[in-house]
Amino acid sequence: MTSADPLSLRDRVLGAAYTCVTRYGLVKTTIEDVVKESGVSRASIYRQFPGGRDELLHATVAWELARYFTELADAVRDAPDLAHLLEDGLVFARRSVREHEVLQKILETEPERLLLLLTTEAAKTLPFIAAFLHPYLDREAEAGRLRPGVDPDHAADYLARGILSLIGEAGRWDFAEPSQVREVVREELLGGIIAS
Amino acid sequence: MTPAPRDRILDATLTCVARVGLGKTTLDDVAREAGLARATLYRYFPGKQPLISALVAREAARLGADLLEATAACRTLEDAVVELVTTAVASLEAHAALQYVLLVEPEVLLPYLAFRRADDFLREASALVAPALEAFLPSDRVARAAEWLVRVVQSYACSPTAEVDLNDPVSVRVLVTEFVLPGLVPSNMLGVTS
Repeated sequence: MTSADPLSLRDRVLGAAYTCVTRYGLVKTTIEDVVKESGVSRASIYRQFPGGRDELLHATVAWELARYFTELADAVRDAPDLAHLLEDGLVFARRSVREHEVLQKILETEPERLLLLLTTEAAKTLPFIAAFLHPYLDREAEAGRLRPGVDPDHAADYLARGILSLIGEAGRWDFAEPSQVREVVREELLGGIIAS
Repeated sequence: MTPAPRDRILDATLTCVARVGLGKTTLDDVAREAGLARATLYRYFPGKQPLISALVAREAARLGADLLEATAACRTLEDAVVELVTTAVASLEAHAALQYVLLVEPEVLLPYLAFRRADDFLREASALVAPALEAFLPSDRVARAAEWLVRVVQSYACSPTAEVDLNDPVSVRVLVTEFVLPGLVPSNMLGVTS
């Protein structure tokens, strides 16, 4: 591995930018901070992120989101079926959103800025969740458990939307209460997808 | 007959927000637009915050009334949900002040749409929708169904997809019958409401 490897260089810069954001916040983090933290030159950072600071911050939020959802995917991969996968995933996701220190800190101090970034990035999160769910839907289809006429692509998109909404806002649901998690998963989310 | 001063002031505020946004609208602008003296305006609204709060409350109540009216003639839950979704989307899209804010100063609204204050938004929006569902669902399912519908509309409105067009009643009906309705009522209850 060499430091010229563009992938690892990019990851190094993003990791450093993330550290800076945790330390200084989104508004105050500068390219200079990231240069110091990463040991990567200003010129190299601009080669990776020609849009400069704004592009780097967008990419940093996207990077952390991807890391978050990868962790989530790893946590639920072994669930026996789609319903259990969604139940485990929602419980894990709600807990980790609440415990995500940086997220909470930024929400406290600069919510508007973070939310603008999250909104643009959420559009990319939906296909990510849908793609993750797809093989589980295929398995339900093979087992003959899908309701007649359900298109797995459409079902994956609908589930991704419901999940993202529930991760963002608990609303009436208490995710510490297993019977409630079961209910929202088996009725609201899967009612139209899995045959009863 | 001219509207009461309070409504005249709120109408003027809507016009100002649609023209220059929430951030730049001043009480002076509103007074001028309403054709009222600044002092008169202050008697009704002692500052920008109470003025905007009153405006949001009135516009929300109007939307709630529109939704109720739109579903009044519906015979089935399916028809009511399709009407609810298309009416809500059409009203929000035709709302010039809201559209200006969404387009030019979304940072004002975003905190209401995600995380902490989003739970308040969800609760209030659900409360607005719920009355229109009361005739079509058992009372213990109404609030729950209303919240789910708000989530669904919010998701497709914020992250559109080619598959679903919230402005098109046919497209909405497909989404509603395929995925939404079976989640709102246990399957053995579907079709028995009228």
